Amino acid sequence: MAPSIKDEILEIVATVIEKEAGDISLDAHLVQEVGADSMMALEILAALEKKYHIVVPEERLKEMTTVNKIIQMVETARKRG
Amino acid sequence: MVCGQRAKSGVSPGVFMKHTEIVITGIGVVASNGIGREAFWGALRKGVSGIKPVSLFDTGSIKSKQAGEIKDFDAKLYLGDKGLRLLDRSTKLANVAAKLALDDAHFTVTEENTDETGVVLGTTLGSVWSISEFDKTALVEGPRYVNPALFPNTVINSPASQISIRFGIKGFNTTIATGFTSSMDALKYACDFIRLGRAKAVLVGGVEELCLQTYLGFYKLQFLSGSKDDDQELNCPFDCRRNGIVFGEGAAMLLIEDAEAARARGVRIYARISSLGYEFVPYRINKYHRLGTGIRKAMKEALGAADLDVEDVDYISANANSTPEADRIEAVAIREVFGSTAQKIPVTAIKSMVGETFSASGAMQLAAASGSIKEGFIPPTLNLREKDPQCTLNCKDGISQKADIRHVLISCFGPSGVNTAVVLSKYEK
Repeated sequence: MAPSIKDEILEIVATVIEKEAGDISLDAHLVQEVGADSMMALEILAALEKKYHIVVPEERLKEMTTVNKIIQMVETARKRG
Repeated sequence: MVCGQRAKSGVSPGVFMKHTEIVITGIGVVASNGIGREAFWGALRKGVSGIKPVSLFDTGSIKSKQAGEIKDFDAKLYLGDKGLRLLDRSTKLANVAAKLALDDAHFTVTEENTDETGVVLGTTLGSVWSISEFDKTALVEGPRYVNPALFPNTVINSPASQISIRFGIKGFNTTIATGFTSSMDALKYACDFIRLGRAKAVLVGGVEELCLQTYLGFYKLQFLSGSKDDDQELNCPFDCRRNGIVFGEGAAMLLIEDAEAARARGVRIYARISSLGYEFVPYRINKYHRLGTGIRKAMKEALGAADLDVEDVDYISANANSTPEADRIEAVAIREVFGSTAQKIPVTAIKSMVGETFSASGAMQLAAASGSIKEGFIPPTLNLREKDPQCTLNCKDGISQKADIRHVLISCFGPSGVNTAVVLSKYEK
């Protein structure tokens, strides 16, 4: 079975932040609770754009505060095409 | 040498250690023939070569096939799992060497000493691979899809910066990119900081990684052994069959300290940096100055500044890298500087074992000479089967010779015009 978009995004976030995917709660604040920084956010954004062939404007970076919000953002961008 | 003291050899004292005595207290080496000080010294003592067929990239389309490659290098074994994902090979090599040097010196960076501790790294080609890969992604996949977190690797000061970040060293951070002599120039810079009272301890050294891009660059310049028509691929400094360098990779970092600070810490001292000689003789791009005036002057300056007669030197750690021109220039320079002593004084070329590690080569020689002083041996010059009559020196193939070493003269120069020589001495309280 192919991994779900949730699992894929969680894996990308976990790889960049260097944490186990299972240790990252989907609603945890990535900067305040998980230890992400602005460079990591840029890296996550670039990885998502590459994987899903989407374009996310940089100004939406500040909205990427939790994994759930990132999933939402990616799904919206994919629908937009 | 104390300021104002007259040099026995009567030459200008040049760059020397005024009142401040500077010593080596930590050594970290990642070389193709051994990782860690003990493994590296053991390999030098036994005459173990790190030269082997390249496995990091395909050499199928070119005639040169060998290098001093560090096989199965795993930075995690030394640095742990975290924080390595984005680092390129040069940065990992340099960080492992830095960690080994700090541990070896039992030096802990603290809030109290961090402002008096610095990092100076010699590297010239360190970011070539990263620049190339970054650009390749931009060209193939489009600029939008490059990983921004990999961009910092594309700048030349990335390895040195990562050392400071990882170990919390805040005093100063400098990268020196002067080609073959980078790590010797780094040493000079580091010593100046200590001598001027701006640092008590400096992590100093050099790094170069092996990658297709730099290997091809040296190949196309016909610097690599085997790159010219009908050349056999050989790494044999001072041998008449020599025909170019065999490239080597690696990192060597030394913790150098104000001797007073080292004594206060009660730490083991490997050697004293007695003097540095420096001469810049610009000539032509990628051409050695035929007369070798620069390296002669640098050697004389180092001997004068250390207040040594030529008979006081126990052996010479030669720059010799198996290049026809450079080895001959150096042999002639040694004969002129040492006169009749030149035929007696042992000369060794460790590049016969690790290859030409370029910016890291001077630091590798310093690490090797520290071992000679501490453990009493002179490394061999491998593959010396047919001695070049133009390079008649006292070199020995095979394994090392046992000897009580008090002073080593290290020479390091390149076709960029920079010539350096260092006298490393036994530390005596």
